[in-house]
Amino acid sequence: MAILECRDLSKRYGAIQALDEVNLKIEPGRVIGLLGPNGSGKTTLLKLANGLLTPTGGEILIEGQKPGNESRSIVSYLPDRPYLAEWMKVSQLLDFFEDFYDDFDRDKATEMLLRLNIDDSMRIKEMSKGTREKAQLILVMSRKAQLYLLDEPIGGVDPATRDYILDTIIRNYNPDAAVIISTHLIADVEQVLDDVIFINQGKIVLQSSVDEIREEHGMSVDQYFREVFRC
Amino acid sequence: MLGKLIKHEFRATARTMLPAMGALAALSLLANLSIRGLTSGLSDVPVLRIVFILILVFFGIGIVAAAVMALVIMISRFYRNLLKDEGYLMFTLPVSVHSIVWSKLIVSLVWFLLTALLIFVILALTALNLSNTNLEMIIEQLPSWNDLMQMLDELGIRSQVMTFLFQWILAMVIGTLVTCLHFYASMSLGHMFTKSKILLSVVFFIGMSFLFNLMEMGYGIGVAGTADTARWDIMNGAEAMRFVSSMTWHGIIISAVQGAVLYLATVLGLKKGLNLE
Repeated sequence: MAILECRDLSKRYGAIQALDEVNLKIEPGRVIGLLGPNGSGKTTLLKLANGLLTPTGGEILIEGQKPGNESRSIVSYLPDRPYLAEWMKVSQLLDFFEDFYDDFDRDKATEMLLRLNIDDSMRIKEMSKGTREKAQLILVMSRKAQLYLLDEPIGGVDPATRDYILDTIIRNYNPDAAVIISTHLIADVEQVLDDVIFINQGKIVLQSSVDEIREEHGMSVDQYFREVFRC
Repeated sequence: MLGKLIKHEFRATARTMLPAMGALAALSLLANLSIRGLTSGLSDVPVLRIVFILILVFFGIGIVAAAVMALVIMISRFYRNLLKDEGYLMFTLPVSVHSIVWSKLIVSLVWFLLTALLIFVILALTALNLSNTNLEMIIEQLPSWNDLMQMLDELGIRSQVMTFLFQWILAMVIGTLVTCLHFYASMSLGHMFTKSKILLSVVFFIGMSFLFNLMEMGYGIGVAGTADTARWDIMNGAEAMRFVSSMTWHGIIISAVQGAVLYLATVLGLKKGLNLE
């Protein structure tokens, strides 16, 4: 069964059609790049998968069920913004994740945080922007989830941090799970992807494996993306 | 999961509420010492006199501030934790929206009641201090629970008094929950829109206040219309108590109805109209 499926999924914000009859199936065990320019509908799709938005048409299913309590216990989501309370200490955040997610591995998270010199007593507000992003990612990747939804995990950070983040994702995801990485920084993520989905103006333009793109078009995903989305 | 939500909600709010309550308790101690100081020879020293008076002024402000603090924490926790960026974490937890709302309601209720109790105790102790009453003497003279019940039995109003006490506690709890829900529902509905969310929350708050006032007035007129006003002048104590009790039930029912409407609006707004930036 597909871990994530969209059937004629549409979302409209007033006059703006953010997603337009999207049909999509994501199988477990793959790392998928959700690639598209800014405003193409990537974040909307991930929010719908988390039940943070309600579709205006069609449906989105996680393991055959609409987003709800059950799907949230198997989906690990990293939003595209800082979402942890600034007053919280690392130890309190670990308590929080441990309390609510049965699949959270506290030891693993603590070890990864310590490697970045982030100890239990440190507060979120004491961390730099880059360190906060790393800490958020560590919490999200320390879950043994079925589906990881990572929204712009490498946006707005320096190249060294990008490498650290991608390395953390690849080293720590549950191999039976699907990982969806939404980004417009294709060259940076291309090396870790199995499949790609091109999205533009709320429509799926292409769903293919990275190998197929290289074999059929003789170019990298980044080059192919530039060709497809040429202005 | 509700228990875990409550635990973390207490953790988030206690870091502000406990120091605030501690500060008020410390201020009340200073204020009571100042009262003693003012009534003793120390008040002859002008500087000390000014210090004592300033402490008493700050004490008055502190009492109001503690009550306002509980209200501000209740509103800001809902706003920041659910409607701003932290909402991305809260609404992707494997818990229901009902549990999230109830955890906030229960924790706010506890802080309101604790703050009210603290203010009551502080004011009572200050009043005793002002009147130079001996606390031990008062405690000695207080009748025991059994004596009190016997006294009420003799007057034949035990059940009415107990009902009245129960109603008073119920009205206080429901009233506090309705106050919280009034703010929650306004913010929840206001944030269903993409623009002017705070302004719309204020508009919803005022609009709902207006509607509820109309509802209370209409209900009040309806209930009063059924009362036998001709008998008011010949009511005895027990009859008067029954009348007050019946009116209080009406008040509790109307509050509960308002609370249910506000709760549904809050949950509906968060479930169907959540619109995080």
